[in-house]
Amino acid sequence: MKLAFHLAYKNLMGAGLRTWLNAGVLSFAFVVIIFYNALIDGWNQQAKIDGINWQYGYGHLVNDNYDAYDAFSIKDGHGELPESKQKNLTPILIQQGNLYPNGRMMSILIKGIDPNQGILLLPTQLLNDSKAEIPVIIGKRMSESAKVKTGDEFLLRWRDKNGTYDAATVTVAGVFETNVPFVDSRQIWMSIDKLRKLTLLHNKTTYFVANEQYKYESAPGWRFEDQEYLMREQTRLINAKKVGGSIFYVLLMTLSLLAIFDTQVLSIFRRQKEIGTYIALGMTRWQVVRIFTAEGAMYSVFATVLGAIYGIPLMWYLSITGISFGADGGEMGVIISETLYPVYGMGLIFGTILLVILSATIVSFLPARKIARMNPVEALKGKIS
Amino acid sequence: MSEKIITTEKLFKRYPVGDGEFTALNDINLTFDKGEFSGIIGPSGSGKTTLLNILGSLDSPTEGRATVLGHPISSLSHKEAAQLRNKHIGFIFQVYNLLPVYTVFENVEFALLLQNRSASERKKEVMQALEWVGLENMANKKPSKLSGGEGQRVAIARAMVKRPDLVLADEPTANLDAKNAHAILQTMKKLNEELNTTFIFATHDEKVMGYLNRLIHLEDGKVAKDEIVTAKTV
Repeated sequence: MKLAFHLAYKNLMGAGLRTWLNAGVLSFAFVVIIFYNALIDGWNQQAKIDGINWQYGYGHLVNDNYDAYDAFSIKDGHGELPESKQKNLTPILIQQGNLYPNGRMMSILIKGIDPNQGILLLPTQLLNDSKAEIPVIIGKRMSESAKVKTGDEFLLRWRDKNGTYDAATVTVAGVFETNVPFVDSRQIWMSIDKLRKLTLLHNKTTYFVANEQYKYESAPGWRFEDQEYLMREQTRLINAKKVGGSIFYVLLMTLSLLAIFDTQVLSIFRRQKEIGTYIALGMTRWQVVRIFTAEGAMYSVFATVLGAIYGIPLMWYLSITGISFGADGGEMGVIISETLYPVYGMGLIFGTILLVILSATIVSFLPARKIARMNPVEALKGKIS
Repeated sequence: MSEKIITTEKLFKRYPVGDGEFTALNDINLTFDKGEFSGIIGPSGSGKTTLLNILGSLDSPTEGRATVLGHPISSLSHKEAAQLRNKHIGFIFQVYNLLPVYTVFENVEFALLLQNRSASERKKEVMQALEWVGLENMANKKPSKLSGGEGQRVAIARAMVKRPDLVLADEPTANLDAKNAHAILQTMKKLNEELNTTFIFATHDEKVMGYLNRLIHLEDGKVAKDEIVTAKTV
């Protein structure tokens, strides 16, 4: 095998530009595959971190009557949890309401949260700091869609537990910026005590956000949803993106492997006399098959080296600066930041290298098998068609 | 007593052509002794190259028996035939068949690489072979930079470097001018005399015939005449 690689190396180096064209095409596919996957992984990682920091915490203890996907469950989707079971939990109460900013009406969610919580990155401390009667914090998306900013006041209308409408003026105590649209779009955050008072839902909670120390104990009427469960939609979306991406890179790989296959077929046809000479000099046919297979495999090694030469600096640069797609997850219903930072895992890099080497070896072996059936006399004459 | 290294008995080679078949070799019965400098001569299509290919274990007879250096050609596996060629037989072709991406040195070294010889041994043997053919100063050149005569001399060095028992040369002078043809024939004759290597040529070149000790005339696949002749000396 050492001899096969030695000869393959010499043959490829001797072939000059043809070798580097093939290696170049393959290296492009190789770099794109790694980069695309790294971008998806980067998005995934970023989305998970943002999701945990802004929304999920270390899981939710949710009232059994509440279903995040069912708007009709909001009104009665709350309950009381004994104080003893609320350790390491931050309560959140959700109710529906209407805003009247600048004379318009917007249906929104009113979310009450403990202003002293430290689990989520929501700047709830602003609710404590504000001198306003009913201070609220909103996200940037909400601020833009309602056209309100810090210090603005607007009318909020809601129904209490008895169904009676009430209204009050609320003041924007702060606007926060987040990649997580689920804590931003069409919602306002206020102190949970204030919301409980406004709605007469004393001690009621829709769900609790757990911190790292929380240990789930069964509580009747409540269910625990862990991080994995809460992030399932995002994970599903990212997996779907990966599948979509894999179609794209299967196409890329097919094109570059086709180039190698084509080169090998042509090479075997064009180098018949050389093959005949190898056999006349004392090589077995399978030894010659090994040379040609090694040549194909070596394209992928060259592609790895070539890809590393331009790919490493490029990918390193992009991992620092990130890539801005100007995407707003709020519009798509996903957690995505404006700038994505690719994450290059060792598994991804070595897995891709292995995939490329294996595929290149296989597509080189397929046409090379023909050599094993070649008549050396015909090969020496160059008469095999 | 002379040592017989090749024997053919009732050797036939037939190729299918259309519905029938073409007989390339027809009842060939020959023996070759060690150290012979012989030629199989005849016009194109007389079966010279076919016989040479069988003797070189590149092809096998349809019928009959060919024994080369004690190995029955028909019953050799691909691997055994490759080993026979690798260790005992050198080939010289009409168009040299040098490997274009290798240097002169690497072309000659190739046969030794297949024998897993050490690098130092390979270097010594390759330089010796290049010295035999007078190309020791061209070791680093690529075949594309060589003249026809030089190319064929590299082919001779490649065939001789492993010091084979038998060298089969198929029309080795066909692409050379008279001066170069004589030069390489003299080189081969010298090696034949110094190393006692058996040379068998397939040729219809008069210049080659002048150097041979034995002429085997083939006509339509049959041995028409087998004569011992007085050859030129070097």
